[in-house]
Amino acid sequence: MKILVCISKTPDTTSKISFVNNGKEFNSEGIQYIMNPYDEWYALVRAVELKEKNGGSVTVINVGDVSSEIVIRKALAIGADEAIRVDVVPESSLQVAKEIAAHAAGYDLVLTGKETIDYNGAEVGAMLAELLDLPYVSFAFKLEKEGEDWLVSREVEGGTETLKVGGPIVLSAAKGMAEQRIPNMQGIMMAKKKPLNVVASIGAEKGSVVASHEMPPAKSGVKMIAPDDMDTLVKLLHEEAKVI
Amino acid sequence: MATYMNMDQLRFLLYEVHGVEDVFQLPRYSNFDKESLEILLDSAKAWADQDWYPYFREMDEKPAYFKDGKVIIHPHVKKIFKDAGDNGWIGMYFDHEHGGMQAPHFIVNAINHIFESANNHMTGYMGLTAGSAHLITTFGKQELIDRFVPNMLNGKWAGTMCLTEPQAGSSLSDVKTMAYAQADGSYKIKGQKIFISGGDHDATSNFVHLVLARIEGAPAGTKGISLFVVPKFLPETEAFNDVITAGDFQKMGQRGYCTTHLVFGENDGCVGWLVGEANLGLKQMFQMMNGARIDVGMTATSTATAAYYASLQYAKERPQGRRIESNGRKNPNQEPALIIEHADVRRMLLKQKSIVEGALSLLLETAKHVDFALEGEGDQKKENHLLLELLTPMAKTFPSERGKEAIDNGLQVLGGYGFCTDFILQQYYRDIRIMSLYEGTTGIQSLDLLGRKITMENGQALQLLMARITETNQEASNYDELKPYVKQLEARLGDVQKVLGRLIPMAMAGDYESFLADATIFMEMASGIVVAYQWIKMATAAKKALVTGTGAFDTAFYESKIHTMKYYFKYELPKAIACLETLMNEEELTIVQEKQEVFG
Repeated sequence: MKILVCISKTPDTTSKISFVNNGKEFNSEGIQYIMNPYDEWYALVRAVELKEKNGGSVTVINVGDVSSEIVIRKALAIGADEAIRVDVVPESSLQVAKEIAAHAAGYDLVLTGKETIDYNGAEVGAMLAELLDLPYVSFAFKLEKEGEDWLVSREVEGGTETLKVGGPIVLSAAKGMAEQRIPNMQGIMMAKKKPLNVVASIGAEKGSVVASHEMPPAKSGVKMIAPDDMDTLVKLLHEEAKVI
Repeated sequence: MATYMNMDQLRFLLYEVHGVEDVFQLPRYSNFDKESLEILLDSAKAWADQDWYPYFREMDEKPAYFKDGKVIIHPHVKKIFKDAGDNGWIGMYFDHEHGGMQAPHFIVNAINHIFESANNHMTGYMGLTAGSAHLITTFGKQELIDRFVPNMLNGKWAGTMCLTEPQAGSSLSDVKTMAYAQADGSYKIKGQKIFISGGDHDATSNFVHLVLARIEGAPAGTKGISLFVVPKFLPETEAFNDVITAGDFQKMGQRGYCTTHLVFGENDGCVGWLVGEANLGLKQMFQMMNGARIDVGMTATSTATAAYYASLQYAKERPQGRRIESNGRKNPNQEPALIIEHADVRRMLLKQKSIVEGALSLLLETAKHVDFALEGEGDQKKENHLLLELLTPMAKTFPSERGKEAIDNGLQVLGGYGFCTDFILQQYYRDIRIMSLYEGTTGIQSLDLLGRKITMENGQALQLLMARITETNQEASNYDELKPYVKQLEARLGDVQKVLGRLIPMAMAGDYESFLADATIFMEMASGIVVAYQWIKMATAAKKALVTGTGAFDTAFYESKIHTMKYYFKYELPKAIACLETLMNEEELTIVQEKQEVFG
């Protein structure tokens, strides 16, 4: 079984977010990058579990410059067997999907996280499935192999559904798919010896570019209300917070 | 989850102050690079978040206890210890041939900082196991290595070091535990050991004790002490080896980390095997002891670090009182201020920050010397060995002593709540108290510093340190903002010379009692100055990053480093001047005088 896992780097969740160049560019000063948690905890770990159970191999693919290699090495430390890095700075979901599609033929399963935690696009998986002409299941929280088919459970409005899908598929992984796996020392040291193939960009079209970003207005300070002053609390919730 | 340490602070020290990449140039560590280090740091933090910190309070609230001849500890210790073995964390710095990862000590210490900040009760179990296994691999025969080390590094068995006896604490020359030679080359061991950390519990199936004992007929004093490996159960047969647990000491802190009383050979059935050469046991044990002293310094630093972040969080959330306005009054109609806005609270927070970050910098620098002392060549090796010897007692003592003071201030930030068990500060306050007692008390460390390390090899170690400080001062002097602080540090270095000018002649005249009477005051002075040097180093790195724009952190981060350095120089470094006054005062008030009744 050959599995491809698409991974991306995102700012650490504790990062202070700001933009420069009139809101066009993300300010990376002082930013620590991590592997997108949905890619890591759910897509990658489930892929490694499936490989450990059924045999085969796991390849991770990333579209990014050399600064992405830290998250790629981490993916290899967690248990991926090899990695591909498409050497271009990504600017749109369509561009990423097209760059990945150029290397995604021949896999039994292509996994992405359900979304990235920076721009929350949740688009690459669907675009990739379209480009590869494969079935796509989004927001899956359970994935099992059953004969030649895949059994996939996903959340739907008010409940869950389980699908049986045949052949190669593209799937986006959500919470519940697997448990976070922390790389061990041996895995970390072995990661250096696993192949990381850097390939040139195909020059995929971007489709769209960012015109500008705008930060939400700063939150106002906390107001302390005496425990017995319910009238003031209700008034503030109604008039200022507008939640009742 | 509450913040218990800061990865940016650690990364700043690793990459921008102490140049961790230098150790990757040593052939032994050539498998490591920045990427592998980054993954290691993130993995350690993720594991600490998941399995260490969440059980920290519970380990205190449900402490180790002794029942029916056994010690029972918190059940999560077993899981962490097993995972540590399975995932290679216990054997981090061991050779590949012994199943280790050959990680630099510099990195091991950085990782320990993460673990110990999360839960200072746990690392002793791992550290002692690694330390005792390291004694076997360093001095033991291959047969002993094969029998014991694999199961220690994989977390199935735990290791301990057994030095202290009821009558022999700081004075190990009084060790009475005996070893009787047997025809098969083994020894019968008989004696008692107390204060044995991790000496018996239900988290592992066997214990490998490294025991100091005296071979029958050996000379008196420290030159007659040998080192033995003594398992609780024999590895081949799993037969009980007559190591009885007599009790578990109930302590004020580190209550999840058991401390046992062991009896060896009560029924004449305890067998041990000599490690290394006979009568060299104490010297061999000190290989482990020096590493253990750095470990204790790191545990103290990390405990105080976690306390700092706990008090900082409280200070950011607790509204109380109002700031004084320009008319000298407070406006009662104003919203209360958060206590972090009050000058006195800020002073207490800065005190903690300056102590814990200064101590962490000192510990990491010391750990870097370990790597170069072991793996460097020629003069580089020798210089790093000398600097390591000189810095180790200070790296153990500064965080142990000043960390207590830092946590005391952290508790004070919380006001009355700090004294309540609902808040965690009281636990840190109790936990850190042992650090100035572990592995040689502050008194012992101070005697070591003044009596041995300052004078060793005609004062070469001190000269080397002075040269390093001068080099750093020269770099710092490139920045006008730092110049006044460089001058202050130079003045304090002059004070050290003044003190030594008074004390050394006493030693040369054979008046060792007077020479060493105030060794602890000298330690306070010297270690405070060495941490000032660390702050100049950090401020220089911060200034450089601000000027060149090449640093990995934002402007506020670097400015806070320079600000904290200024705090240390205004509020903490002057304490060295008080020490100078005492050390230059010729009155002898603490030395026993004949026919003098002082205490009554």
